[in-house]
Amino acid sequence: MSSLSAISPARAAAGLGTASLLLLAASPAEAHIVSSRLGDFYAGALHPLMALEDLVQWLALGLLAGMQDPKRGRWVVAGFPLGLLAGVALTHAGLLPAPPRLFDGGGMVVLGLLLALAIDLPAAAVAGLAVLLGVARGSANIDGLDAANDVVLFGAGMLLSGYAAATLISAATLAFRRNGAGWRRIAVRAAGSWIAAVGCMLLAFALRAGVMQ
Amino acid sequence: MTTTCILRAARIVGAGVALLTLTAGAASAHVQTGVAGGLVSGFLHPLTGLDHLIAMVAVGIWGAQLGKPAIWLLPISFPMVMAFGGALGVIGVPLPYTEIAIALSALVLGGAVALRWRAPFWAAAIVVSVFALFHGHAHGVELPNAANPAAYGVGFVSATGLLHLCGIVIGAALRWPLGERLVRGVGAAIAALGCFFLYAAVLGI
Amino acid sequence: MRRLGWAALALLLLCLGAAIRHPASAHEAAMAVLELRQIKPTQYIGKWVLAPTFDPGQIHPKFPRQCSWMDPLLECGEPGFVGPMSVDNIGSNLSAVMVHVIPVNGEMQSYTMSAASPRVTVLGLAAPTWQTWFELADTYVNLGIDHILLGIDHLLFVLGLIWIVRGGWRLTKTITAFTVGHSLSLAAATFGLIGVPEKPLNAVIALSIVFVGVEIARLRRGHAGLTVRYPWAVALGFGLVHGVGFAGALVSLGIQRKLLPVALLSFNIGVEIGQLAFVLLVLALFWAHRTLSASLPRWGAALPAYAIGVPASFWLIGRMIKLLTT
Repeated sequence: MSSLSAISPARAAAGLGTASLLLLAASPAEAHIVSSRLGDFYAGALHPLMALEDLVQWLALGLLAGMQDPKRGRWVVAGFPLGLLAGVALTHAGLLPAPPRLFDGGGMVVLGLLLALAIDLPAAAVAGLAVLLGVARGSANIDGLDAANDVVLFGAGMLLSGYAAATLISAATLAFRRNGAGWRRIAVRAAGSWIAAVGCMLLAFALRAGVMQ
Repeated sequence: MTTTCILRAARIVGAGVALLTLTAGAASAHVQTGVAGGLVSGFLHPLTGLDHLIAMVAVGIWGAQLGKPAIWLLPISFPMVMAFGGALGVIGVPLPYTEIAIALSALVLGGAVALRWRAPFWAAAIVVSVFALFHGHAHGVELPNAANPAAYGVGFVSATGLLHLCGIVIGAALRWPLGERLVRGVGAAIAALGCFFLYAAVLGI
Repeated sequence: MRRLGWAALALLLLCLGAAIRHPASAHEAAMAVLELRQIKPTQYIGKWVLAPTFDPGQIHPKFPRQCSWMDPLLECGEPGFVGPMSVDNIGSNLSAVMVHVIPVNGEMQSYTMSAASPRVTVLGLAAPTWQTWFELADTYVNLGIDHILLGIDHLLFVLGLIWIVRGGWRLTKTITAFTVGHSLSLAAATFGLIGVPEKPLNAVIALSIVFVGVEIARLRRGHAGLTVRYPWAVALGFGLVHGVGFAGALVSLGIQRKLLPVALLSFNIGVEIGQLAFVLLVLALFWAHRTLSASLPRWGAALPAYAIGVPASFWLIGRMIKLLTT
């Protein structure tokens, strides 16, 4: 049992890593090839996975949830995808403007700091963060949607990929840190500090771009 | 236990470096734009200046020498402080004497390793944080207008963190008597290089 | 806990809505076939033998450099109609374009272009080279992957099987049985050994998913149905049906007989790649839910059966109506 549970998170992590690298190798232009090849559902599912702003924040949320007690952490499973869907729907309906670029860095700094400081969050906070991030990312990703695309399929695709990513990353994190030495928790916290650092630089870029305009 | 951990860390670092080098190789074949270009330029930036590079490695070695909790607290706090310095640089907040401070950091950190300075944790944290701020700032000022800031940031932070891990892995040699002498030798070499950079920086003024 | 359940319910209902909205008509995926008949050594006359649902003028084929295309006339300079050709605007409303080249004397040649591999090399009268086979395999592996990824009814059936069998050796046997079943009937249908009209076939495919949904619901009430006791038999049986459905995409193209075995094999490999990826994803999600102990609450345990059964019943009724009214 112990050998099995030791392998599966590593395998899951390797799988996730390979998948995201493959996706990164694809340029944003290829997102549109996906949509013309596989339709709007897969366009919605894959569009957010092709931008680092999304990948890093999705990863941070999953890591954060996986560091919590599962009873509280599992709220991302429902909260994040529903938030994504709400973001797509609200922005598509014109009720919510797409978030400013400061949100990218800000999200990374907040999530990264919570991770690095290993803060225990109540269930409501996990759910709230998941929904908030979901709404922001769903809203930001609407730029992958052309007038010709079907918004229902696009939203459904993003919903399912958000659900799969949140569930897989948080479960892999939980399994990784639960079995084994203390350094594994440290490794996840160090990852959090890296994410906060990336967010910090992104904030600076966004601020500078804002000043220059 | 510690050995296996360190060996594992070494393996992970090796795999990461190999992967990123491969990506870099593949990406540099194309025109460096978009995500790949941002990742590569961000990743290479901390590796291009020797003064930066040796100071990063020295932080890792010193952390390993100091043992717990420095060995794991430094890698967690350092990237954030450095990125904060980088952010200041990007926005354009001036910081005086960065060249001198960076050369000094190699000298001080290398010296600490060579002399086995067992500083109390808070002192080590302050020393490292101050230097991290300067290093980050220097990078931030030099930053090109990154086409893809997120990719640039990810590359930059991972390169810094990996340099760190390199230092910790070198520090693993501490367990052997010969290795300990070797590590102190590396520290002395870093300090000597720091001396040279300091000389150059002061003359440059 | 109860609130988590409500969130799960909302999630499932949304997926359900999307599934019903999804056209699920991958088997009827739009294909277009252009026939180029040689009339002079350098001249071909083109005709859409299988026209797309929209104006074929919207498809922009690019011919080798020495050729000029004035619909319907193709005029080629030296060395004739050979070299690379492509179709660069294959979109979501068109999954593949096939070109049949019929020389004055010689065998018909066929080339397939799809969004994933829009480029082929026209050979003229020369024998197929390794490049021809490679291009063919590339095209059809990708077509197979696309076909299964867009065939939400097939995926739903596989999901039902996984839900009932759960995992381990039994699941390996079940999925293998499904693979053997659909590969056999796919081959048989492609070579014309069996032929089933499309409309009743689609209705039976929908029925197979309803069947699995019912089995899940019965299992929850403690009845071990056929699928629970002999999952591999059910998988094999319905695999035969689904395979005929896969063949629709291949048969309608009318590919050159010499190339057919390789095309069929590649297409099948593509389908298996897509199916395997789907199975692995579902198993990973099962594992993740166990790890997070995020399972459905007791009152929501019937949801999976309905999530699979409702869209399937919807399709079944729709396809039955289509069958009976025409």
